[in-house]
Amino acid sequence: MISKKNPVRTARYGMTIDIDRCNGCGACMVACAVENNIPPAHAGASDRKGLTWIRVFKVDNGAEYPAKRSVFIPVLCQQCDKDTPCVHVCPQQAVDLDPATGVVGQMPERCLGCRYCMAACPYHARYFNWWDPEWPAGMEKTLNPDVAPRMRGVVEKCNFCHGRWHAARERAAAAGKPNTEPVTYTPACAEACPTGAIQFGDLKDPSSAPAQASQKPEAFRLLEKLGTEPKIYYRSKREWVRAIASAPKPGARKEPSRG
Amino acid sequence: MNTSRRKILQFMGGSAVGALFTPVPWRLITDAALWSENWPGVPVPVRGESRTGFTNCSLCTAGCAVRARLIGEQPVALAGVPGHPVSRGALCPFGLTGHHLPYHPARVKSGPVKEAWAAVADAIAKGDRIAVLDLRPGRTASWTYRRAMAAIRNGAYIVPPRPLGPATAVNLAAAKTVLSFGAPLLEGWGTPGNVIALRDGFRLIQVDAVESRTAALADLWVAINPGTETELALGISNVLSGGASGINPARAASATGVSEQQIAELARELTGNGPAVVLDAAGSSAVLALNTLIGAPGRTLVTRRETPVPEAWKKAAPATELAEIPERSVRVLLIDESAPGEYIPWGEIRKKLAANPVVIAFAWSRAGYGRYAQYVLPAAVYPETLEDIPPAIDAVAPVFRMTVPLQAPPAGMVNPGEFIATATGLPRGDALRERSDAIHKSGRGALAAMPDGKLTPVKEMKPEDLWKALNAGGYWMDTPDEKAAPPRLALAGPEAGPVEAASFPLVAILTEARGSAAPASPLMSKLYQESNLRLGPGRAALHPATAKAYGIEEGARATLETAQGRRDIFVILDSAVPPGSVKVASGPGVLDICATGERARVVPA
Repeated sequence: MISKKNPVRTARYGMTIDIDRCNGCGACMVACAVENNIPPAHAGASDRKGLTWIRVFKVDNGAEYPAKRSVFIPVLCQQCDKDTPCVHVCPQQAVDLDPATGVVGQMPERCLGCRYCMAACPYHARYFNWWDPEWPAGMEKTLNPDVAPRMRGVVEKCNFCHGRWHAARERAAAAGKPNTEPVTYTPACAEACPTGAIQFGDLKDPSSAPAQASQKPEAFRLLEKLGTEPKIYYRSKREWVRAIASAPKPGARKEPSRG
Repeated sequence: MNTSRRKILQFMGGSAVGALFTPVPWRLITDAALWSENWPGVPVPVRGESRTGFTNCSLCTAGCAVRARLIGEQPVALAGVPGHPVSRGALCPFGLTGHHLPYHPARVKSGPVKEAWAAVADAIAKGDRIAVLDLRPGRTASWTYRRAMAAIRNGAYIVPPRPLGPATAVNLAAAKTVLSFGAPLLEGWGTPGNVIALRDGFRLIQVDAVESRTAALADLWVAINPGTETELALGISNVLSGGASGINPARAASATGVSEQQIAELARELTGNGPAVVLDAAGSSAVLALNTLIGAPGRTLVTRRETPVPEAWKKAAPATELAEIPERSVRVLLIDESAPGEYIPWGEIRKKLAANPVVIAFAWSRAGYGRYAQYVLPAAVYPETLEDIPPAIDAVAPVFRMTVPLQAPPAGMVNPGEFIATATGLPRGDALRERSDAIHKSGRGALAAMPDGKLTPVKEMKPEDLWKALNAGGYWMDTPDEKAAPPRLALAGPEAGPVEAASFPLVAILTEARGSAAPASPLMSKLYQESNLRLGPGRAALHPATAKAYGIEEGARATLETAQGRRDIFVILDSAVPPGSVKVASGPGVLDICATGERARVVPA
């Protein structure tokens, strides 16, 4: 990490997710779990107590058939760039905004499990480890050696595949590139997306695909009015999809609908 | 200086408060946290040299190209190959987690091989009827089974039903309109990468009782009353034929909930926008017969040639569909279930078995037919296996690609092809290599080599180079046969299933209807247990109003009953499920008792 006294930002990693292309297959969710050594569900886990750094929600326009329309919205840590809520509330300094990459990092070894950050996150993109991480016998051999599994009692979340970023940095260093130069890599979810809905790159680089896509008129961010400057941009040509990103409709909660 | 009790307490108190202003307690907390990160409850990933390997996924007929990251001899991550000319980098959640299967808790690790061998040998000696049920026909192993069954006195080679015929492929590239009756076109149908690449070229109309993922992404979703797909097809048929076939659109509208006007509009779309194709998840004859009316054979439904085979193999038993096998005729049934394939309800198979039958399943888990077999022989599982993959439904030309082992299988695994070939006295040989040589001899097609998918004509390769490239994950594909005769759809008339609405008031809707019985990686829990993206195994969804009528609450245990049997389920409530129906997660137990459109009831436990 670059010193906070001399914040030189070499990159501003971000993502665009084309909702009109997402088919809700969930490949991003399992690819993320494989890459980041996220364990299978404990017997007691539910949709409220599970660990899904990226989670695909099925959302509809609230209308009845034939006007009913649904989309799939992958939600992950939005990597807030400004007044990052989780960073502010962490009493342990276990969360930080890396000035070199713009990635909001989570340090499980510092985390006390108070879950203030979960309460503060407007996107519900943080997850608490309710149980010891366990894999079926033998399956621990399939763990990614670049990522340490987290222990019970800490909060975890998406970090744009920090292990892959480190590996890219090592490759760049081996190639003789200065460490102030941004590196190019692809997180597991973007790599796994079969429809190409997820694009990842440096938002500061005007030639990068996400930088260009984020400037399109159909691009939007979740809860933009909070002013946290998320670095995840969504895209949809449908007006109602863009509208639901502003805020939930009060009193519009319906019976649960599943994918 | 006097030392009083008060002063000692003051000193201790001051020390305690003062210590809070030193780094000591915080350091202790940090160290404790660091220690806890490595306590025995947290597994430590194995480190080692990282390398890349290539294979093709054999978990379905798509056979997507796979790039694997290996640490030592252990795959730790699988991904698609973006440059691949067919799969185009796509890999579904099952494929992404395929390397977990060797460690699945349900894995069969040993079995009564000697006893099974003796039973087969005894049946061959007596001339009893022996049959192989091949759930993935079209492979090299399938030819081995056919040759083996031809080599014995009373052998039969059985394949699952093929509603469109044995060699019919769907040419999506030629289709301008696709009318899908519940077919999961955007949920893993065919070769997902190919379908995604072609998606912008056709208008997709999805007929579904629930808003499936395909329905959500279709250009038009036609919501239909559950279980009335046949009536809608017959209504469309009536419009297309000018009243010569099918049923009156008004009657179809009444049954399906789709208006007469929309039925007429669907008929117009099938004929007015260029080549079209009609697909059906259930393989219903009435639905697929629409293809003949719209002239799909030869345009969007084409005949795919067989991948070249050695001449010596052609003395083989014919492929027989299960329905054509006489009842109570099979004495020994060998089922190849070493990888996911089609699933035939056990009740249909059981009818074909003679008295005191011997059923031998080659399987890596007991979740499928292993529940009914006398002998379950342990088989290697992807990515331990070496075999070729049958062509996908959207492959218009012959293909050949192999799943190459990324890791060694454990000791004691039984190769079904070798077992059956040896038992029936077939000469030993490397069938895959012979097939590769036959492809080379034909001189047809080109090979897409890994890692970049670069195409090389077979004519420019030596036999050894072709074999080597195939073993490195290469993909051979031929060109479509322009002169091939259009497929003849052998379609029967409309099925008239018995409707027992009084006893079974609900209509079943199966999710992942094409899914097989095989278990998946435990990480798939991310998609159902830890989120609501899919319906999990053993679960059924009811509309809240339906559940209330039966006195069932969210999360309650219940029994799903049909005329074929019963199955314990957990009930969840879902307002997207139409009232009067039950949405059921597909799986071996469920597939044995019910299909989409089946009448059912849910009884509280």
